Amino acid sequence: MNQAFLKIIASGFLFYALLVPLIAQERFTLSGIVKNAETGEALIGANIVAKELKGVGTSSNAYGFYSITLAQGEHTLLVQFLGFRVKEDTIVLQGDRTLNFELTPEPIKLNEVVVTGERSDKNVTSTEMGSNKLEIREVQSIPVLLGERDIMKTIQLFPGVKSAGEGSTGFYARGGGIDQNLIVLDEAPVYNSSHLLGFLSVFNSDAIKDVKVMTGGIPAEYGGRLSSVLDIRTNDGNMKDFGGTGGIGLLASHLTFEGPLVKDQGSFIISARRTYADLFLILSRDTTVNRASLYFYDLNVKTNYTLGEKDRIFVSGYFGRDNFNYPNTFGFNWGNATATARWNHIFGDHLFSNTSFIFSNYEYGNTVGAGTSEFQITSGIQDLNFKTDFQYFTSSQSTVKFGINSIYHTFMPGSVTAGSTSFTNSLALERRFALENAAYVSHELEPLSGLKVNYGLRFSLFTLLGPGHTYDYDASGNALDTMSYAAGAKIQTYSNLEPRISANVILDETSSIKASYTRTAQYLHLLSNSTTTNPSDLWVPSSNNVKPQTADQYAIGFFRNFNNNEFEASLELYYKDMRNLIDYRNGADLQLNPAVESLLLYGKGWSYGAELLIRKRYGAISGWLGYTLSKTEEQFALINNGNPFPARQDRTHDISVVAIYDYSSIWTFSATWVYNTGNAVTFPSGNYLIDGRLVPYYTERNGYRMPAYHRLDVSATWTLGPRSNLSFSIYNVYDRMNPYAISFRQDPNDPNKTQAVQTTFFPFIPSVTYNFKF
Amino acid sequence: MTTKILFPKGAAFICILAACFALSACEKVVSIDLNQASPHLVIDGIVTDQQGPYSVKLSLSGNYFEPSLYFPPVSNALVILTDDQGQRDTLKEAESGTYLSTRLQGIAGRTYSLSVISDGKEYDGSSSMPPKVFIDSLYAIPRTGFGGESGYDIYVMFRDPPELGNYYRINARSSAPIPADSIDGRRYRLFTDKLTNGNEMAERIRAGRNVNPGDTITVELLSIDKAAYDYYSTLQDILSSDRSATSLSPANPITNLSNGPLGYFAAFTVDTKRIVLK
Repeated sequence: MNQAFLKIIASGFLFYALLVPLIAQERFTLSGIVKNAETGEALIGANIVAKELKGVGTSSNAYGFYSITLAQGEHTLLVQFLGFRVKEDTIVLQGDRTLNFELTPEPIKLNEVVVTGERSDKNVTSTEMGSNKLEIREVQSIPVLLGERDIMKTIQLFPGVKSAGEGSTGFYARGGGIDQNLIVLDEAPVYNSSHLLGFLSVFNSDAIKDVKVMTGGIPAEYGGRLSSVLDIRTNDGNMKDFGGTGGIGLLASHLTFEGPLVKDQGSFIISARRTYADLFLILSRDTTVNRASLYFYDLNVKTNYTLGEKDRIFVSGYFGRDNFNYPNTFGFNWGNATATARWNHIFGDHLFSNTSFIFSNYEYGNTVGAGTSEFQITSGIQDLNFKTDFQYFTSSQSTVKFGINSIYHTFMPGSVTAGSTSFTNSLALERRFALENAAYVSHELEPLSGLKVNYGLRFSLFTLLGPGHTYDYDASGNALDTMSYAAGAKIQTYSNLEPRISANVILDETSSIKASYTRTAQYLHLLSNSTTTNPSDLWVPSSNNVKPQTADQYAIGFFRNFNNNEFEASLELYYKDMRNLIDYRNGADLQLNPAVESLLLYGKGWSYGAELLIRKRYGAISGWLGYTLSKTEEQFALINNGNPFPARQDRTHDISVVAIYDYSSIWTFSATWVYNTGNAVTFPSGNYLIDGRLVPYYTERNGYRMPAYHRLDVSATWTLGPRSNLSFSIYNVYDRMNPYAISFRQDPNDPNKTQAVQTTFFPFIPSVTYNFKF
Repeated sequence: MTTKILFPKGAAFICILAACFALSACEKVVSIDLNQASPHLVIDGIVTDQQGPYSVKLSLSGNYFEPSLYFPPVSNALVILTDDQGQRDTLKEAESGTYLSTRLQGIAGRTYSLSVISDGKEYDGSSSMPPKVFIDSLYAIPRTGFGGESGYDIYVMFRDPPELGNYYRINARSSAPIPADSIDGRRYRLFTDKLTNGNEMAERIRAGRNVNPGDTITVELLSIDKAAYDYYSTLQDILSSDRSATSLSPANPITNLSNGPLGYFAAFTVDTKRIVLK
């Protein structure tokens, strides 16, 4: 099957990539960058359409670059981007030329009929499936817990993306686990995206330009994770003027400053955020409590410089850290640091390239006790990442993407450093090293009018490298054999061919049918013995024992726009098959365990469902309605007697409603309502007496359900002037007591009785945030 | 030291966060319909280096919300204890479901096997009694904890043997009429020498409210084998409710008995010391 597939790809390339441009001799190419006229920021996904030629158009890429090939002569081009005035330009093409477009942001117009040509029909015409783009305006208006805007929480309102727990930034995509999401920040994968144990994400929404989440039909340029891609692009910095924005909230404050290095050539942006819950601790009279710390901070720094027409470089860094410390008892701190250098180069008018060098480091530290019992534990993962991606615009109907990626991983599973007077011994678990390589090619084309196809292939190659030791284990996890490897020796190699295909049959101007097939492979696995995101969760590589996880996903969808693209609707059905999923033996102690692989169990999973989305992007009222009906099951030989059981992330029904209402130029109102079936959980089905205690007796895994979860949040933004606003929000308006957990305990009034106790963390919570610009 | 005690998991932190954000976690008793599992055999058997007789208790599991501590005892079973030196003892049913040894004496370093035949099925398990580790001394210091609550830190001093792979359980109880909230005899501390092999140890246990000067604290240091450690540790996992809130799917504790009963069989040494609080 793979050979046949390769042949199709090869012939496709030969024909379209090479022949088509040769046949079309008197055609010329127009290329350039689409920018925001006020700030000089490149615009991602702007449409460039030839007005006279129906259906001929292109859109700008992640760096604002576009390339369109048209016949010699005069053309009227429409350049459009949501929230910006449409630009109409008449050009005369007598040869290849470069033309940059600058679009002017449009103030929100109320009660006004919008010119129909401005509305995009991408929902119907693109080959994208399971894909949703978040508008920054939506992030800014949608109410959130404690007023702290967070894209990771906002994307959970899309069908197919489900929250991993109340207040959590972790998410499940189409039945996949939390670690199966590839989160990419300006080309750099992020390992731990959470602050404050998952209540907030590391992404400071002040600095974010574009957010796209893909749960199906994942293009070939993305790989390494099984279930989804969250691609986040940050602002490059204002090329024209100095300025800034800031916000003061109950939980955190943030400040962003940006401006030109050289006007229209280079710019910088710095944004910082810090929480201050711990400042209240100082008020405590308790001398231990007032020395405790509890905070996180983030720092994003980015600069870019344009070297002539063809080259642009970006250097950026992220540094974030969480710190919890309770004197003499315990301390936790963890953080990500990344440094990225990128170089955009345009070869001729057709070929765009971006090359990235990325260093990233995730580190976790834990100090326990004091004096004789004091010791420190550290663990982490470090990456050196090289990536180069090309985008070849062969004609206005055909684009080829190809590239390579190579990551050298260093895993630090844990070490213990004892205090000078401590009774604890120091210990360091062996580091692990791995090289993860990938090469991909994909081709999007329109072979026939009304048929668009995007087919591609990704080849991934993973090698676990020495120095190090490996163990073989028997079925019950006992070590049988040890092997020792020298530095650089290949311990284990895995490879996967990952075909990615999606096709769109356009039925008419307002409707289309799309289908896709995606295979994905994942070589790194997150081990976590808790349902919350913990900073101590451990990333481990595939090895002689741990096989790569792989998945096949099939999806089909009907897409239709209504009322001149004012409403976008889609209904998608998917089926996903997952192999080599990981679970744990009972009582698995994952920390500081040199034989951690002996604790793992391997199984399979499958998920299927239907997702409906109706979205309105334009006008005074915007928002969406999403509904998912799905089922996710897992099967492990040594769990639940080998019978399939519902996965924790199995949610039968999941509904979200989002509405944003621009009432006047002063007031904007918004509301969200969510409903989902409760998580699958394991409750006891009996009890017994042992060791003098009453003990629950469990008979099946995830055989019960938590009560259904639902909640309404509202917010109102009061614009005080052109430079400031106050945002009021209420979380959980009708004070629904959603269970965070249900536990069982002895009845304090009658020790012979057991009772079920529900814990709720997030009742009715009002908050206010002040945002400003300068 | 076991990581399970040293790493307060999500729930503990969420509590701290919740307190800091002035979000008081709200608890309420709810009613939940649970299935009724059919009664399942429970075996609770131990052998120690102390004077016998040693008991093996057989009972059946009951319904979860049944307001009773009565679990049907299992009578008329054949219960046999043996060791690797040829001792063999057929236990006598002293009271319904409780079987007592008649002559076997537990000795550190030996491996003991239990065989239970009940209702035509045989259940077997074995446990090795580790070399005995003695408490060198106990000392107690008054403590002021989180939120100004008072109590004592009691340090249990002993030397861990040079070879890796020692597993311990500490039981502590006070003489106070009202059980102290954190050493009421039903909670215990489990740890290993994973990070402290061969060291002089000062293992801290906490005595919280209801402990007063003049009270006597009795501390037992149990040397247990890995199977018993795994059993107690997975038992603790499902009994501590703050952990079960965020832990992975709970499961029955890991038993060392064959043929799928609930419960365990363990052989361990016990060293006891007492301290009077000042």
